[in-house]
Amino acid sequence: MAKDPNRRDLFSGALELMILHTLRLKPMHGYGLAKHIKHASDDLLQVEEGSLYPALQRLLREGLLDSEPGISAKGRPTRIYRLTDSGLRHLEREVSSFETMFTGITRVLAAARPQEG
Amino acid sequence: MAFFSRLFSRRRRYDDLAVSIREHLAERADELMADGMSRAEAEQTARREFGNVGLIEERSREAWQWPTLESMLADVRFALRQLAKSPGFTATAATTLALGIAVNATMFSMVSAFLMPRLPGRDPQRIVVVSSVNPDAGFQADLNPASAANYRDWKADTQTFSEMAAADEYRTGSLSGAGEQPEAITVSAISANYFSVFGVAPQLGRAFAPGEDEPGHDHVVILSHSLWERRFGADASVIGRTVGINREDYVVIGVMPADFRLLGFTPQLWTPLALTAADGAPDARNRRYLYLFARLAPNVTLSDARARIQVAAKRAQQDFPLNEKRWGASVRVLDDFLIANFGIRPALAVIMTVVGFVLLIACVNVAGLLFTRSVGRQKELAIRLSLGAGRVRIVRQLLTEGLVIALMGGAVGLILASFGIRVVRAALGFNEVISAVPVSLDRNVLLYAAIISIASAVLSSLAPALKASRSGVHADLKSESRGSSAGRSHSRMRTVLVGGEIALALFLLIGSALLIRGVYLLDHQKLGFNRDHLLTAGLRLDKAHYSDSTQRNQFVRSLLSHLKETPGVEDAAVTSVLPAAGPGSVPIQIKGKPEERTGEHRSADDVVVTPEYFNIIALPILRGRGFTASDQAGTPRVVVVSQEFARKHLAGEDALGKQVLLETQGGPAEWCQIIGITADVKSFSEDQRVDPEIYEDFEQRPVDSFSVMLRSKVEPTSLSSALRSSVARLDADLPLLRVMSMEGVLEAQRNGNPLFERLLATFAMLALILATIGIYGLIAYSVGQRSQEIGIRMALGAKSSDVSRMILREGLKVAGIGSAVGFVMAIPLPKLFDSIFSGLLFGAPEVYAIVVVTMLLVALAATLGPAQRATRVNLSAALRNE
Repeated sequence: MAKDPNRRDLFSGALELMILHTLRLKPMHGYGLAKHIKHASDDLLQVEEGSLYPALQRLLREGLLDSEPGISAKGRPTRIYRLTDSGLRHLEREVSSFETMFTGITRVLAAARPQEG
Repeated sequence: MAFFSRLFSRRRRYDDLAVSIREHLAERADELMADGMSRAEAEQTARREFGNVGLIEERSREAWQWPTLESMLADVRFALRQLAKSPGFTATAATTLALGIAVNATMFSMVSAFLMPRLPGRDPQRIVVVSSVNPDAGFQADLNPASAANYRDWKADTQTFSEMAAADEYRTGSLSGAGEQPEAITVSAISANYFSVFGVAPQLGRAFAPGEDEPGHDHVVILSHSLWERRFGADASVIGRTVGINREDYVVIGVMPADFRLLGFTPQLWTPLALTAADGAPDARNRRYLYLFARLAPNVTLSDARARIQVAAKRAQQDFPLNEKRWGASVRVLDDFLIANFGIRPALAVIMTVVGFVLLIACVNVAGLLFTRSVGRQKELAIRLSLGAGRVRIVRQLLTEGLVIALMGGAVGLILASFGIRVVRAALGFNEVISAVPVSLDRNVLLYAAIISIASAVLSSLAPALKASRSGVHADLKSESRGSSAGRSHSRMRTVLVGGEIALALFLLIGSALLIRGVYLLDHQKLGFNRDHLLTAGLRLDKAHYSDSTQRNQFVRSLLSHLKETPGVEDAAVTSVLPAAGPGSVPIQIKGKPEERTGEHRSADDVVVTPEYFNIIALPILRGRGFTASDQAGTPRVVVVSQEFARKHLAGEDALGKQVLLETQGGPAEWCQIIGITADVKSFSEDQRVDPEIYEDFEQRPVDSFSVMLRSKVEPTSLSSALRSSVARLDADLPLLRVMSMEGVLEAQRNGNPLFERLLATFAMLALILATIGIYGLIAYSVGQRSQEIGIRMALGAKSSDVSRMILREGLKVAGIGSAVGFVMAIPLPKLFDSIFSGLLFGAPEVYAIVVVTMLLVALAATLGPAQRATRVNLSAALRNE
């Protein structure tokens, strides 16, 4: 049935960032991607298929990813997604801007704590 | 290229996507099976976890699409499939809209032609028309032509107008030459700089040179394109040729291009306007006959020009109180002036409102059909909603269906409109000024048709679409019965729609009936004279051959005596203006009655007639006498006045014997004695006005332009050739203008009225028919919906008359409420029309009653069929049905 809207992307670009980062390790197919993100986050993040596939298509359209026919571990045909050069550049840019943002947010939260206590 | 490669690669992308998702599901299922689930259970769980596969695939595909175009195309394809499944519905809805769109597009072709005139020349937005403002005219007061003195004064203000030209647009004359029959033509006399103000040049030859508008140098002529084609066979060697205009020789120096055309002005040729010193004299300020076209000086705005010209008019009022008192001046941009001067705007506004309402009614009908259809499709829509289709998507789908219907309607409507425009164009042939305006299916009309098609799609399908998408998924899936509550709420919506439709139709019918009645009464008013068996023709005695008044008298005397001897002719007369054809008014003075108190100029319509005139039109002399042969050039000047003249200017006194002075042009003013009083004649056949009239004797003032009137024992037009030969016997080259029966003259003066009436009647009937179809559809549908209920009622013992009465009541209730609303809406109409159309009578309460009764009867008739059918419900079938 309808999915819980609170479990969508936390903020825009986060899912794309995780996809790009994951594919930097090695090319993967869709299911592998979903599983990897779930494991890597110790089950904290569950990737909604409803978001994953549209996001993959958007990244393909932007030219950040490439897809090629491949065979899954079970020998069935699937599509393998791989990071392109421009995808790599994009990822690096995004990561640094994310880090800046996280740093900023963390500092603000840290500064707010004493008043609270 | 990227565009195409993307289009082709998209198919592959979609396949990739499907493959990815399939593998995703399969792997998940494998995992679940590894945990011990059965295959079937695992596959089902994998799917459930994944979510709505179709929806996710669609969302993912959207990444590749122009946001909407592709899904819109899909919607359109789907809509076409859906509509093809119910051709009856589709045809009805599309035809209804086609009718509405066709009448709108047809009428809009007139709006496009008359209210969006194509302007000639360079930078036409900088061209203005300077007019006098007539303090006494109610109608088009600020479009009055100006005097030659005004022209001289105003064009000197080069700060405001970089250049100003004058035109005497409505001269008539005869064109002769090269052994051809002389023909009557319309001439515009223009100042030499006229074409340069517009920034247009002749197609052939040259424009007038400076100085060619001086007396003595002015015998040059420029032809209009249509005259050049028709009369001169489009022969380029016509330049330099000599033609006769009013039997004086003119040299052709130019031919204008076909696209030089001003709305409402259709001269066949242009001659120079030679103004003389006399035109500048103070007493010439009363002669206002020049249209002044000017180009605004750089950096001068319209409001600057207005302010400055008003100052100039004020100054003239002070300097020439006798002639300029209370007269003002106005400035309008060219197109604004042309449209206002043409005076067709109010009629077109009314007609566009009417056809707009017709379209609205058509939309309501289609909305009703869509409601019914969406009831039938409730389950389909509910299933789609439950499968995850968004509400927006459903609304969009239904709107797309509406759009497809409307575009089909629009296409058919345009085809119908192209015929409609042909009909209208033929009907507009009633005078050459109107028929010169090209009414066609032009770009504006196409654009308008597209806009109203889309608007009617939204109008007719938005409400049904919103309603349909709002229905609860569960209720609709569960409800099996057609008599369910969802069905009821749809039919309630339709009831409101049909009620509104009837209100609109009634409003339209009342409005149209009031207008048609007003115009009809005007067209059939008593004019005060006998119009039967009269033949008329215009004659103009040119100065070259008839400069002397005795020559003119001689000509008229011989012509009349010869005509009277012609077999079939009872009597013959000459008049300067035909009755009810709008005589010109002249200022007058009455001896012993200075115009002190009134503060107004006395004036009267001035007509010059031969003695037979009163008799020939059966205009009774109430007191005193008419003219006789003994009133002659040498004898004391005498005049006959109308009853209205005596009432207005000599109230409470005996008019007979009083002395009147007419300030006419040319010749010394003389005191004239009133010798008779006639009954009144309407000044214009197309207006209710009765102005004071004063008749002069032709022998005492032989004017050079007049009409001949023959009273015949036979069909008047059968005497045309006899009249022609009588004139030719006296002067072979003299052309006869407008040979017509008096009936024909009056008919021509009705101008667009018959067309206006016919259009209104047609559209009002269309509205009535559409509203009738609407109420019929509503009741028929509701009977169908309630067949189960009716079956039960009848099974329980209701008589068929009870049932049909129940249905009739339902129909009449809708019609009654709708009519009441329409009635109230129509109450302010007479006042509104009074402010738009002058001189028509709109107060007619009986019209309201008649229309309401008609509406209710028609509604009753439309309900009768379904009511009858309701009683024939097959009991067992109706009850078993569900």
